[in-house]
Amino acid sequence: MKSDNKRYITCPFCSLHCDDIQVEVNNNKFKIVSENIKDCTSKIEYFNIKKTSNLTAISKYKKINFNTAINAARKMISRSEDITLVNHGTDVNGVRSLLNFAASHNCVVDHVNSKYLYRNLGIIQRKGYMATSLTETRNRSDVVILFGNNILKKSPRLIDKVILPKHSLCTNLKSRKLLLVGDFDAQSVKIAKKNKHHIENFKIDLNDIPEILTKLMSDDKLSKNLEGIRKIIKKSKYLVASWITSDFDKCNDPDYVISSISDFILSMNQTSRAACMPIAGSLADATSSQTMSWITGFPSRVKFNGKSFFHDRSICDSQEIIRNRNTDLAIHISTVNHNKVELNDKIKNIFIGHINSTFNIKPDIFIPVGNPGIDHRGIMFRTDNVVSVLLDKIREIELLSTQDVMNMLSEVDN
Amino acid sequence: MNLKLQGGKVYDPINNVYGKRMDVYINDGKIIKKNKIKGKINKIIDCSDKIIMPGAIDMHTHIGGGKVNIARMMLEELHHDHNDSCDSSAIIAPTTIKTGIKYIQMGYTSCFEPALLPINARQAHSEMADIPFVDKGGYALLGNDDFFLDLVKKKASQSLINDYVAFILNASQCIGIKVVNPGGINAFKFNQRALDVDEKSNYYDITPRTIIKILTKAIYDLGIPHPLHVHCSNLGVAGNYLSTIETIKAAESLPIHLTHIQFQSYGNNGDRNFSSAAPEISHYLNKTKNLTCDVGQIMFGQTVTMSGDSMSQHKNHHHAHPDKWMCMDIECDAGCGVVPFRYSDKSFVNGLQWAIGLEVFLLAKDPWKVFLTTDHPNGGPFTSYPHLIKLLMDRSFRNDIFEKLPKSVQEHSILKSLKREFTLKEICIMTRSAPAKILGLKNKGSLGDNCDADITIYDQNKKDIEDFFANPSHVIKDGKIVVKNGKIVNYIWGKTQTVKPEYDAGIEKILGKFFDKYHTMKLDNFKISDDEMTNVIGSEIKVNECIHKRK
Ligand code: SF4
Ligand SMILES: [Zn+2]
Repeated sequence: MKSDNKRYITCPFCSLHCDDIQVEVNNNKFKIVSENIKDCTSKIEYFNIKKTSNLTAISKYKKINFNTAINAARKMISRSEDITLVNHGTDVNGVRSLLNFAASHNCVVDHVNSKYLYRNLGIIQRKGYMATSLTETRNRSDVVILFGNNILKKSPRLIDKVILPKHSLCTNLKSRKLLLVGDFDAQSVKIAKKNKHHIENFKIDLNDIPEILTKLMSDDKLSKNLEGIRKIIKKSKYLVASWITSDFDKCNDPDYVISSISDFILSMNQTSRAACMPIAGSLADATSSQTMSWITGFPSRVKFNGKSFFHDRSICDSQEIIRNRNTDLAIHISTVNHNKVELNDKIKNIFIGHINSTFNIKPDIFIPVGNPGIDHRGIMFRTDNVVSVLLDKIREIELLSTQDVMNMLSEVDN
Repeated sequence: MNLKLQGGKVYDPINNVYGKRMDVYINDGKIIKKNKIKGKINKIIDCSDKIIMPGAIDMHTHIGGGKVNIARMMLEELHHDHNDSCDSSAIIAPTTIKTGIKYIQMGYTSCFEPALLPINARQAHSEMADIPFVDKGGYALLGNDDFFLDLVKKKASQSLINDYVAFILNASQCIGIKVVNPGGINAFKFNQRALDVDEKSNYYDITPRTIIKILTKAIYDLGIPHPLHVHCSNLGVAGNYLSTIETIKAAESLPIHLTHIQFQSYGNNGDRNFSSAAPEISHYLNKTKNLTCDVGQIMFGQTVTMSGDSMSQHKNHHHAHPDKWMCMDIECDAGCGVVPFRYSDKSFVNGLQWAIGLEVFLLAKDPWKVFLTTDHPNGGPFTSYPHLIKLLMDRSFRNDIFEKLPKSVQEHSILKSLKREFTLKEICIMTRSAPAKILGLKNKGSLGDNCDADITIYDQNKKDIEDFFANPSHVIKDGKIVVKNGKIVNYIWGKTQTVKPEYDAGIEKILGKFFDKYHTMKLDNFKISDDEMTNVIGSEIKVNECIHKRK
């Protein structure tokens, strides 16, 4: 194969948005060339065209041409009394177009992962917060604590790129300490032990995190195990705490657990430096909350009221709205999702999504759109909310972007 | 389409016109001379009872980028719209659309975001692209980034540093360079809590003075019109006027712009160890060539402070009101801190800050050197500009407010003895022509032939100064009437103003290696191309000329 088909792509499929992934593209089929990223390879190659891919628009069980689908969707939209837009992941221009549409049709806009967003946001809306970013962590941290259980599986390259990279500007990587606090399974521990790096795995019930952090900051006598951790923490010069919010789903009070980690970081900063770096969800969560914030003033769950966007965390909760059938039409937008999307068959559903999307039931209308980063250019925000990356186009199968399609649908009244 | 503004009183300081009755002609987005008009006049606006000025330019206002979004999210409660009234709380971290509307309704046609982190440039430009009407631009933050500090530590040549500065301007699509707490943000990451002008940072062993000296030189060598935009060391600290003066000296007579100088003009005299050093600072300002400043006036009421200066914001978080805040270390690039704050007219310190800002304005001899800002939203929201202008133009209005402040404030300020009242001419210079000049915007801030037709038309019948400046009768942007009697009549989108000095491509090789080794993104992704600006981010760019070829 010719090597000039090789190129870098920016990966849209988790919130690290790596841009150092090499792919080889032949006849619109892409293959990851970069090595040692098995999990990512399957995540990315999933978006190749398969036999089962929905390349054409579908009305329930029937294939229809694209324009027919747009017209049918427009009709459905103009008949609807109350539309709910559910974002399962799209780029900045996609979010812009959802909000444009919402402003012309007075609808709710929500992201499926809003509940996780509000857990982290809760901290800065109630008290102080010290944050850091991926590159800072890579180059400055001497202690990293991962809380929870699944963070390493959900962000496959966190260890390689951020926590235990090959090079670090200001710290000695050999002496960087990695602590796992929670119930990490053997697979996670294996990922963390990369290059035989010494790690501390402190197994606890996630509900006990607040209590343990309080103990660590106190002068109380501790068990031998904990005493060791206290020593590491006390000596640290730049400590980073990281977690993925969904790991705390099963806790009695997830908000309390997260806020205890943040409080711990705040108190560390009285004498030393420390910061939080939570990892966002993989459905372009940060892209949605950032773009919505600057356009509407709110990071999620808004409704256009004819004049401006208003926000109410419960009134604009799309999952509740759909469950209670307080809407007659849900428009789902999904361009990076690997998982099956749950639709409610009691209302009408328009699904604007990538060609390999799967659902529990067929939507009334399915309109295929491209993946940002594969079929069209776009921008997405990384988990640290401070870096946004440019996504490129590597395939030409004539798929429009979410923005193109939403703009077509917006023209309904004209 | 030819438009004629007929018989208004025109203020155009760049062309030495002050209150002369004349006609202004507009064609195709530009102002043109009468004798160049082809075809008939399509529309005439009778300006016989109007005052005409170029559109206003806010050269320092935090309107886009990560920290503004943090403030929006943190202070969600402030966006719940109460009949869209322009109360200050709803406007301290407004949405992009509201930002554009409020600015254009006040006759502002260009706004500049002064703390654009290169690593956050894509976000800042995406946000600003969603601000309607106005032209915008950004100043890229340098001087706390590890790459730069490493170059300085290794005693890299000035020429290599110039390449880096020029590259950053190109890659981040900015129009100027800003340094915030030179070296201090970086030092805070290594747990230093203060850094004075001649103090060395522990890790890089570099003083703020060195950073200022190198960056002012780079900007001068590259011919970048806007001087280094400096947020000095020791912001807000009593007695900091001394470090402010040392910062001025660090530029070694090269052009330098000190921002929100009100926050940098504090003495530590008196029984409360806090006093005004406005006279000392003004003395320097008046006598130093190549020195300009914007004031950063504070306004009483709720606001939110947002700054790249994580060192000082972390120190200030104890004053947060309401009691929530956030600081962040960012990408070996810089940092930020967002702390909501309420300036109280009952407080000695806040009262004196208010007086110090006004003292700086009133003691400045040359309106071409001082710009009218509140450092939005740090001192107060930009919507308070008409009020601020009234404070400057109406001595009795100013004194009435001053007399209601705590006695201690009145005893510590010379404000009452300052009899000066600014004229329309001076306000026009400070808010239009001088910012255009200092930014190198040759087609703005002027009503001369071929300038951009960004024009504000005020109603002479409005006798109250605040009302006059808050409610122009017409605002014209790029030749189109966008505001008429306070109502938006036309939605248009402005451009992003940039400057693109030359650099040797060798710097990209060095930086590319640095990115591959230490960063978590590639240099190619860090750079924002002109094509991306237009076709993905969504803003056309306008490249402004450098003053001279690279030295
Ligand atoms: S870590 Fe995430 S962003 Fe990076 S390549 Fe894997 S899936 Fe893509
Ligand atoms: Zn500022």
